[in-house]
Amino acid sequence: MTKTQIIHRSCPWPIGFPTPKATAAFGAGGNSGLSDANCMEQLLVQCATAVEANDATLAQQILWVLNNIAQPDGDSTQRLAYAFLRALISRAAKSGTCMMLDAAVASSSPTISTHKFSVTELASFVDLTPWHRFGFTAANSAILDAVEGFSIIHIVDLSLTHCMQIPTLIDAVASRLAGPPLIKLTVAGATEDIPPMLDLSYDELGAKLVNFARSKNVNMEFRVIPSSCTDGFSSFIEEIRSEQLVQGNNSTNEALVVNCHMMLHYIPEGTLSSISSFDAAGSPNSSYRTTFLKNLRRLDPTAVVLVDEDADFTSNDMVCRLKSAFNYLWIPYDTMDTFLLRGRGDGGSGGSKEREWYEGDLCWKIENVVAQEGAKRVERAEPKGRWVQRMRNAGFRGVGFSEDGVAEVKGMLEEHAAGWGLKREEEDLVLTWKGHNVVFATVWVLAS
Amino acid sequence: MAADLDTSSAMNDSTASAEASVSSSGNQIVSAPPEKKKRNLPGMPDPDAEVIALSPKSLLATNRFVCEICSKGFQRDQNLQLHRRGHNLPWKLRQRSGKEIRKRVYVCPEPSCVHHDPSRALGDLTGIKKHFCRKHGEKKWKCDKCAKKYAVQSDWKAHLKVCGTREYKCDCGTLFSRRDSFITHRAFCDALAVESGKVPPITSSPPASPLPPPAVSPSAAVISSVLPIQSPELPENQIRSQILGDAPVTTGVARSSSNTSSSSSNGSTSSSVFASLFASSTSSAANSVQPQTPGFTSLIQAMAHSTDLPAPSPSPEPVSLCLATNHGSSIFDTAGQDHCQYAPPAPPAMSATALLQKAAQMGAAATNASLLRGLGIVSSTPSSSGEWGRSQTEPESGSLTAGLGLGLTYGGGSGLKELMMGTPSVFGPKQATLDLLGLGMAAGGGPTGGLSALMTSMGGGLDVAAAAASLGRGDFRGKDI
Repeated sequence: MTKTQIIHRSCPWPIGFPTPKATAAFGAGGNSGLSDANCMEQLLVQCATAVEANDATLAQQILWVLNNIAQPDGDSTQRLAYAFLRALISRAAKSGTCMMLDAAVASSSPTISTHKFSVTELASFVDLTPWHRFGFTAANSAILDAVEGFSIIHIVDLSLTHCMQIPTLIDAVASRLAGPPLIKLTVAGATEDIPPMLDLSYDELGAKLVNFARSKNVNMEFRVIPSSCTDGFSSFIEEIRSEQLVQGNNSTNEALVVNCHMMLHYIPEGTLSSISSFDAAGSPNSSYRTTFLKNLRRLDPTAVVLVDEDADFTSNDMVCRLKSAFNYLWIPYDTMDTFLLRGRGDGGSGGSKEREWYEGDLCWKIENVVAQEGAKRVERAEPKGRWVQRMRNAGFRGVGFSEDGVAEVKGMLEEHAAGWGLKREEEDLVLTWKGHNVVFATVWVLAS
Repeated sequence: MAADLDTSSAMNDSTASAEASVSSSGNQIVSAPPEKKKRNLPGMPDPDAEVIALSPKSLLATNRFVCEICSKGFQRDQNLQLHRRGHNLPWKLRQRSGKEIRKRVYVCPEPSCVHHDPSRALGDLTGIKKHFCRKHGEKKWKCDKCAKKYAVQSDWKAHLKVCGTREYKCDCGTLFSRRDSFITHRAFCDALAVESGKVPPITSSPPASPLPPPAVSPSAAVISSVLPIQSPELPENQIRSQILGDAPVTTGVARSSSNTSSSSSNGSTSSSVFASLFASSTSSAANSVQPQTPGFTSLIQAMAHSTDLPAPSPSPEPVSLCLATNHGSSIFDTAGQDHCQYAPPAPPAMSATALLQKAAQMGAAATNASLLRGLGIVSSTPSSSGEWGRSQTEPESGSLTAGLGLGLTYGGGSGLKELMMGTPSVFGPKQATLDLLGLGMAAGGGPTGGLSALMTSMGGGLDVAAAAASLGRGDFRGKDI
């Protein structure tokens, strides 16, 4: 029994999702969920088109249909579609013609709630899937390699997950043969309003980390530089840079490692003036994203680790973004059943609560991609290829992960569901789900 | 046999060396101490050995040597020969005379594998078989306790013996099966702060020793015989059956709430944004929740009132719910009238309609239509006027000219909530033909039932529209599906 179940679950290729022929899968009852995905995507796209065209009637029609088939407590495809449906309603409500939707939505549907995690809750939450752990494991091994021999390591942690990868890094550093170094940890308090949200201040968080490091016999300094993604961390980088200048060159035994975990895609990728941002990336009139990387280069870091979601949410066309998001964010929904219990909180299991948190954060993201515009649209993921190009343009050179690092990532994936996989693309590592790229991890050093 | 988790998983996956060296020496893998990881490269066969390359199929075959009498299969020829003795067939055991038999080594069939190269062949058949399964095979043996997966059954069995015996426990009482998880939790848990608050930190924690893997921190205890925290994943079929089990009964729901159930709020989780949205425009709207009734209301075209054909719905008193009333929403008014006066923007409308049609086919084919009954759609649409569902008697229905109307009635004992929507979407630019989409859904039908039921009913609606178009006049009749 166990055996057949595994066989069923572990086939590491995407069945019917999202394939064009899925709609042809009539009849077979077991497949209905798969052909649904395609149908739902089509409906969502049509609806989004109608919303964008201010065709209220058509939008209403399709929203109606969608509302009836996309159940918030249905299977993963339905839940996914439901999240998009809500995002579309939210968008429609913002555009003038569909204004009445707003009140109705507000009155009838539960508001999307993004949970404020306690720090231990967050620790176990990010532990549920490799979504973040992949980056943690890969980055930590790369950082360990990069700082070997340095007695001071300065880690600039630009991470969405509030230092969750730091304890294991401290732990690994503590057992270094040459004796533990001094760790200087600098974080940017930049994503307080982006899920996952923490109910603890960074000062308190830092105190815990310092305390933990001390328990490991590691000296650590912790510091927060309040800053913002929206200006490309310019003040943040400036402060670190001026500090370097003050210190002078006597810090040759200090390594500077910049750890960018799911954070850089919040930096605006377009210039405020020009809409077509990507073309302008190489030009002098460049985006915050480009500027940030150039400033980063000027810090002369020992290594830069860049981990981010391998998706493209940058299109100015909402319908494009919706398609792109649907064809990426099915993954977190699809994986959900592998680590969370089904149920709506009546089973008393912890799983359903976490499911709520998990979906709440996803809904937030989808809503941001679909319904928001301008500065409020902060979810601007770019695929790996473009990041690689950006890094190269900024004067970095990709280096690979060590075999030990790869082995560790593999070992970590072993602890998770069978659908997760690891792909190596040149120097980079890519986390996959059923063969689809999910998150990439890259390591960079100065090119010259 | 205290093979620990780390060892077995490492072997299983990342360290070819340990595995190969073990298997070539014929030992059970679980007994290999972790240090074997660091051994020499595996597979340094005697250069004189005969190199055997088997296909994956024959490598994994359990019965390569088959008895021609009784078809019993054997892994080894020797065993077959012994078996043949029982049939009184000629048999021959290989002689142990030294020179005759060359030592055999085996290569991995996977071309990209290092052990595919004869110079790295492994020394025994079982070894190469396990190697092939572990490295290139499917891991179909899963531990129900911790979700670890194994390709080789014996590895899995060995793991089962020790699973759950290696765990980390924080002072706060939380258990962890993974060290990383424990470390991260530990760093942030208040238990650590309390502990280090009590005693001066430096003395409280001994210098971190780089050596022992389980030595996490002074307070970290490795305990044994505790169930892992991680719950086993639910088997998919179990989940599915749960869903089905949750699905509400689809028959025999009382129509007691006839006048009130004009919206979706039936207390089930499918209570929808939209249903209540639409409901919000009417006075009678729908706050009545039918908590125990996953049941049914059926929303039907309000235009049913305006027709002279009897509504197919068994309900004698359909309650009408009109979206397009004047006090409802100006959207519907304006948009709807636009539709009546001008042809709507063709491409999105057309493609959406086609899409819905397609979906209807899909749904109709995929499910039994009995889910949906009592779609009462009756409308009268004079094609000349372009007015839609005009009613002389009820003011609400009169305003249906706006174009989107929802009527509500009861599907008798069908036990399904049926939602129907009709919209004036124009197929041809010149012809003021109205497309009537009857969209129904089984709101209470559980997560899996909804789409198909919806599609089924849509099929009905589309049929209606098509028929109307061909007739050229607006006598629409909804049919029960």
